[in-house]
Amino acid sequence: MAALRSSSARVFAAASRPAFRPVVAARGMANLADGATQSQQASSEQSPKLKTFQIYRWNPDTPTEKPRMQSYTLDLNKTGPMVLDALVRIKNELDPTLTFRRSCREGICGSCAMNINGTNTLACLCRIPADNSAEMKIYPLPHTYVVKDLVPDLTLFYKQYKSIKPYLQRDTPSPDGKEYRQSKADRKKLDGLYECILCACCSTSCPSYWWNSEEYLGPAILLQSYRWLADSRDERTAERKDALNNSMSLYRCHTILNCTRTCPKGLNPGLAIANIKKELAF
Amino acid sequence: MLAQRAGTTALRRVAAAPSSVFKLAPFAAMQTRPIQTERLTPADEAAILAKQRLNRPVSPHLEIYDPKQTWFGGSAWQRITGASFSGALYASAVAYLAAPLVGWHLESASLVAAAAALPVAVKGALKFLVAWPFVFHAINGVRHLAFDLGIGFSRATIIKTGWYFWGASIVGGVYLAFFM
Amino acid sequence: MASVARSSALLKQVAAQQSVAANGLRVAAFHTTSRKSLLPPPPQRIEGTVNDPVEVPPPSPSHGSYHWTFDRVVAAGLIPLTVAPFAAGSLNPTMDAVLAATILIHSHTGFGNIIVDYVPSKRVPKARKVFTWGLNAATVLVGLALYEFETTDVGLTETIKRVWKA
Repeated sequence: MAALRSSSARVFAAASRPAFRPVVAARGMANLADGATQSQQASSEQSPKLKTFQIYRWNPDTPTEKPRMQSYTLDLNKTGPMVLDALVRIKNELDPTLTFRRSCREGICGSCAMNINGTNTLACLCRIPADNSAEMKIYPLPHTYVVKDLVPDLTLFYKQYKSIKPYLQRDTPSPDGKEYRQSKADRKKLDGLYECILCACCSTSCPSYWWNSEEYLGPAILLQSYRWLADSRDERTAERKDALNNSMSLYRCHTILNCTRTCPKGLNPGLAIANIKKELAF
Repeated sequence: MLAQRAGTTALRRVAAAPSSVFKLAPFAAMQTRPIQTERLTPADEAAILAKQRLNRPVSPHLEIYDPKQTWFGGSAWQRITGASFSGALYASAVAYLAAPLVGWHLESASLVAAAAALPVAVKGALKFLVAWPFVFHAINGVRHLAFDLGIGFSRATIIKTGWYFWGASIVGGVYLAFFM
Repeated sequence: MASVARSSALLKQVAAQQSVAANGLRVAAFHTTSRKSLLPPPPQRIEGTVNDPVEVPPPSPSHGSYHWTFDRVVAAGLIPLTVAPFAAGSLNPTMDAVLAATILIHSHTGFGNIIVDYVPSKRVPKARKVFTWGLNAATVLVGLALYEFETTDVGLTETIKRVWKA
């Protein structure tokens, strides 16, 4: 009920003052912190720090219309520091039709992966550069089929993930019947691999994946594949290697290394792929 | 107990509902929905989705991606330089085979004579145009072999060595073209 | 209940759209992909349901790991063969022939990789066949030409050296 009442209050507020709404109560959650900045601003009278965001738009309801770029200008003094804050604010206050995925706002869910200023990253981990007034360009992940605006279709990506059997495969039971133990050294091999959140930033940064996504698995899936190859507890290493040993699945990687340069979690898909190639080679 | 509680919640909701509708009286007209819904089988749903997929545009890629990575990362130029050299080799080799039939002179002696006849500036430019890709392909090839051994993969190293190799290839190209 | 909530959301949207119009947002036309791209991506089709994994191709090391390792060995072998003529001034006929052959193999596999990348057999199987066999034929021709050149002329490194110093 409380939610309902507040939304009806919002309706009246919006109806009475459509263009300028400095009402703090009408803000979304992501902007709650701005209340403090705003009161601060009232006292110090900061000049507005305007920033323009150019955002890719495409609406599936009007499929014949070409995708276009739409500009939104925000005052950074009233916006949170991250690109996701800006997107949420645009959606709340300027244009509710803007569509994007977001969930955790702390770089652990991978929902808000998008191309920001030419590089794939998570909007929630990407600061808005405040030192210059250059326009920010935001696109969906490159060379993906667009569902709407900044939402790409990752169906193929997930299907490819499923194909590498991303789970422990074992036939022998553990000696003590309780758990599969691992030495500290073996566990350490999984560091830098298990942290991958499958946001698809690396895969969609890879030109090889752009041209051959139907057959090439791409850096993210190969890093996951190596995560299971490197796991001392897994007993299907040979099978996993065979699944990669063809011209397309693995060997379309030409060490372009956009993957390593773009990973928002600081992982190294390029190195993981190099390790798979080394293990397969000798 | 549980069922009873659920029942009271529902009752409370019903009791509360009219008042909220009442508050929104001016907008009561908005509550009627002109849309009719229909039940679909999973197969129908799949067909609709498949049809929607056909409309989807492909998001922009090469033209919007950071050129420092796609173009100056080196890998693209490794392929471009390599393909140019191999293409030149294939073209000249086929021309050499065809030369006696067509009456061309592609023996080394006539090639040397032709090169000697060129003006110095043209010769220098042509030599650099050959020398730079050669040096680039050679040293960047070594870099790629190092990558294949798992060496030099940290993000900072990739970016730094990338620029070093560009510089080195230009220096090497100038040296080969003008000082050899 | 739900309909009440939706009506308010709808109103909010209307109000916001009005404010959008008031702010005068700019909208720019935009091309997704260049109109003349060589191999434009086809409309999206997904094989199987979303829950089926993609098909795993049968293992074929001769196109996979053996091919990759062979490529690296050839490339690594080219390093001394490239440095030697600079160090020695030129190469003796045998080494020159070895260099020419290695370069030919390196070129062939390089072109092969380019074909595998840009002429995918899944999408254009016929073109792929044409390109692959075209490359094979070209490589044989070039091999023949290099044999001719190496046996009748002064050799690859010596020719380049003479042209360079001309």
